[in-house]
Amino acid sequence: MATEQSPKVSTPRDIRKEERAQRKAQRQGADAAPERKLEQVIIIGGGIAGMEATKQLLSLGYRPVLVEKEDHLGGHVASWNRLFPDMGDAQAIISTLREEIMDATIYLSTEISFCNRLRDGYNVMLSNGVNVLARAILMSTGFTLFPAAKKEEYGYGVYDRVITNADLENWFNGGDDHRIPSSPKAVGFVHCVGSRDLKAGNPQCSKVCCITAIKQAIEVKEKFPEAEVYCFYMDLRLFGKKYEDFYIRAQRDFGIHFIRGRVSEVSETINGSVQVKAEDTLSGRPIKVVLDMLVLMAGIVNNPDNAGIAKQLSLETDTDGFLRSADNILSITESPRKGIFLAGACTGAKTVPETVAEARSAALSIHNYLKNLQ
Amino acid sequence: MNFGFSLSPSSAVNLDKIDLSLYHKMEEIEPDVRICIGCGSCSATCTGQPFSGMSLRKVILAIQRGRENEAREMLSGCMLCGKCTMVCPRGINTRHLILSMCRYWDGEDHGYNLMNEVEVKI
Amino acid sequence: MIDRIANGFHPFVLPFVFGMVFVLSYCVYGIVKILRQLPAEDRKHFFVTLVTPKYIVKNVWDIFANCLLHVKLWKRNRLLGYMHSSIAFGWFMIILLGHIEVFLFMPSRAKFFYYPIFFNFFVAENETTLRGSLMFFLMDFFLLVILSGIVLAMIKRIRSRLFGMRRTTRPSFLDTIGLYSLWAIFPLRLLAESFTADISGGSFLTLPMNWLFRQFLGNNLNMLPTWWAYSIVLGIFMTILPFTRYMHIPAEMMLIPMRNAGLKIRNARRGFARTEVFSCPNCGVCIDACPMSVKKANVKDCTVYLNRQIRRNNEKRIEEISDKCLLCGKCTVVCQVGVEGSVLRVVQRSTRNYAINQDYSCIDVAPFKSQVAASSGNVLYFAGCMTQLTPSIRKATISVLEKAGVKYKLMDPDGGVCCGRPMLLAGRFAQAKEMFDRNVEIIKASGCDTLLLSCPICYKMFKDHYDLDGIKIVHHSEFFSQLLDEGKLRPKMSSEIKYVFHDPCELGRGEGIYEQPRTVLRQLGTLVEAKQNLDESICCGGSLGSLSLGFEKREAITRNSLDNLCVAHPDTIVTACPLCQTTFGRYSDVPVKDISQVLDSAVGEKSA
Repeated sequence: MATEQSPKVSTPRDIRKEERAQRKAQRQGADAAPERKLEQVIIIGGGIAGMEATKQLLSLGYRPVLVEKEDHLGGHVASWNRLFPDMGDAQAIISTLREEIMDATIYLSTEISFCNRLRDGYNVMLSNGVNVLARAILMSTGFTLFPAAKKEEYGYGVYDRVITNADLENWFNGGDDHRIPSSPKAVGFVHCVGSRDLKAGNPQCSKVCCITAIKQAIEVKEKFPEAEVYCFYMDLRLFGKKYEDFYIRAQRDFGIHFIRGRVSEVSETINGSVQVKAEDTLSGRPIKVVLDMLVLMAGIVNNPDNAGIAKQLSLETDTDGFLRSADNILSITESPRKGIFLAGACTGAKTVPETVAEARSAALSIHNYLKNLQ
Repeated sequence: MNFGFSLSPSSAVNLDKIDLSLYHKMEEIEPDVRICIGCGSCSATCTGQPFSGMSLRKVILAIQRGRENEAREMLSGCMLCGKCTMVCPRGINTRHLILSMCRYWDGEDHGYNLMNEVEVKI
Repeated sequence: MIDRIANGFHPFVLPFVFGMVFVLSYCVYGIVKILRQLPAEDRKHFFVTLVTPKYIVKNVWDIFANCLLHVKLWKRNRLLGYMHSSIAFGWFMIILLGHIEVFLFMPSRAKFFYYPIFFNFFVAENETTLRGSLMFFLMDFFLLVILSGIVLAMIKRIRSRLFGMRRTTRPSFLDTIGLYSLWAIFPLRLLAESFTADISGGSFLTLPMNWLFRQFLGNNLNMLPTWWAYSIVLGIFMTILPFTRYMHIPAEMMLIPMRNAGLKIRNARRGFARTEVFSCPNCGVCIDACPMSVKKANVKDCTVYLNRQIRRNNEKRIEEISDKCLLCGKCTVVCQVGVEGSVLRVVQRSTRNYAINQDYSCIDVAPFKSQVAASSGNVLYFAGCMTQLTPSIRKATISVLEKAGVKYKLMDPDGGVCCGRPMLLAGRFAQAKEMFDRNVEIIKASGCDTLLLSCPICYKMFKDHYDLDGIKIVHHSEFFSQLLDEGKLRPKMSSEIKYVFHDPCELGRGEGIYEQPRTVLRQLGTLVEAKQNLDESICCGGSLGSLSLGFEKREAITRNSLDNLCVAHPDTIVTACPLCQTTFGRYSDVPVKDISQVLDSAVGEKSA
């Protein structure tokens, strides 16, 4: 690597000096209004939580620095097609948000190299060589979809006709997927793949898979009206606004079959379809069905990238593996560390509206925190 | 007046009257018996199921709702292969639970047979 | 050499005489008891071997090599080997030389069995005995050897790591007394012999000490008390020996001829099992070897404690220890006396009575038989229960068979009958037997000449327990190695990929298959090795052998095993067992694959 490309390394002494200068500038800046230097806030993660928080902080008069490791904003939502409960266009939401944060500093394809704590703030070194000083950091690092291949018995990556919820959304978005047959006769959805499963390392409910499965089942049925669609669930958890309406529509208008039983094994038939085995626990009988496509509802698990950043910022993980909030009722958006805030799925599975609301709340918390410091 | 149906006393589970001694014994040996969510994974994967109708989910329910002969029959078809332990999402040690149920089913400890002469090759 | 004591007796020998008579009587009683407990045909066979020259030579040699020289311990750790053999062999030599002295110099006293032990007290040197100086030298030499061993033993109590042991056994109360009396015996002997060295002769050790003592004591008044003390500690040691771990000394001398005679454990507590239990020297080598003992957990469930609890008839603990074990067999591999930890546990499990006994008479094998008879092929592939949950293994194995042009049949495409091994490991032999019978019927109906298995659990079961009239039983790793040898597969070599092979318990320690999977992997990429491998590989923690170990308690075991595998930073962990694969897959950061998957992806299209 060429030496001239390596970022400028600041010693702690330099940083303290710079920090002092910055604070001084801020104090003086109050009078010199036109040239006022806005306070920076670092937002790690450019999914919907990060974007919404950026938007709110901009309007509160800060200078948010949004860092995203991918080459685009929007996180998981960007790869989704339509969102429950109103089948809104996911892309539209992302583009709206993107337009609203045009004024913020946004670094794409950038990761956090290291961060260290200063007396009343943080110094964050980015992988692109930029060094950011801020008194507040917002962690909106999100989640990872459970790697479905880990659930070996379901045959993801082994059988051709087994896909995940994300694969299906990608196909809805116009992506090409040879695994999706042109006219399937039977399609199955397996709920709770990598959720509520100690063996998969995640005993928590992922909250959104039940409603996503029903949404996708309806969409599949819309595309392939001839197909029989089965949902294999352990418990249906339809808690949100209008979710129950979705369930009723799926049953009444689309004739989707709901089978209470967790799929235990998937095998391949001679012609390449898959046969699933489950127990229909309501009738108390084993059930088998041959499907042309099986969709695994991969759950929401902790983002493994969080561990590195969390360690540098001395953040703790909660017993569920996600980042720990200062309090799970009153201060969900605050971490136990001063100046570090949390928003979205980095603290646990959340729906899109919940995440957006939390991001706003985090922005307000940051604002109050910074205001009280001065 | 009879409307053509009635609850027959034998089919209703009266929680006030059922005998839970075996369930309590199992709670003592394998406390995880309490955390079954009845997902049916164990029954669906069971090697013995096609032959004997074994369903651990049903057996666990049976000992919580009053014993049934059906459950006893199911247990006698278990091959102890361990697939149910592998798939259980709650991590219940199902094999140990099954063995313990087989051992204490009638509420007695049948003890040991220390004079047994056996061919041991493992 | 002349008698110092006219009648050849002094009361100080009494404690020793008592101890010796007691321990000998106890051993005779023990031997008779164990022999009576053996099944009649085993007993008869054992007696025949005791008088067969071939066996006599082997027995004498094995006892010499194992009980005195501790050859196996030397292989494990030289310091540990030296410590044990210096005490055992040195003591043996002192006793032997004592007898030789009596026969050489005092043949008339040969009838007193305490004479060789206390020889130096009873005799006085005269001019003619200078020829004894060689004997005196040897006596001092071996005493020094023993003392060096005792010093090491003391160091080991404090710093066992120097001896290659991270953890040692916690001695019981009587063991501690036995230990201290054993440690005291030899320094006291040195003192006693030093006090008499000017009268009855000595050598490089005892003579200078005698001179030294005379410098500041000036008389021989201390002589008698030290001989008394020596006799008393000997007496204490002998008397408590049957109730301490030191019982292993006589028991192992019994175990070796019994094992050489081919006897096997036939009862949980009696006969051969009893001999094994008493032969356990409580060295604790099995504690470090036990995969469950990682992070200081389950230490009290290792084989050494099983033996102790069996000796105490502590049924509750026997049950706990027997049920928890993963039956990986590693303790048996490292055991210096060959206590079969796994067999002992399974046989304890077999003693239990059940209210419900499994019955498989409802299994109708006719559909299986007609299914296997219908298709053609000479290799019958039985995937097994565990492989149903790892479809990648089944798919890859079938794909390799196709590519190699093997004519195969599937025995359990839609589930089959369990091989019976999990039931066998639970100690329920009759039920397991019923399952094999069903499978044998199906296998024989297939008309195949080879039974192919991808699960080592089934493999071990079919190989060791089934009578299949000449049908070849092969594990897929073995079969793939053979296909490669025959040139039926031409895999692509990718030397940049580093593989490490995990030896599954049942395949490695169970059936001795170490080389074949490695031969396969060497043709696919670079093979690196784990820190502990082959017969000392560490169980993945998923074993069906354990009945009571819960899911969460196994995580530490699995992680420890993974750390052991990853010392050489492999790109892929390869195993040959569906259970190991699933277990590792839960926690591993490195991809875990079955050997069939790795081979299948390296063999492009059909190459035969």
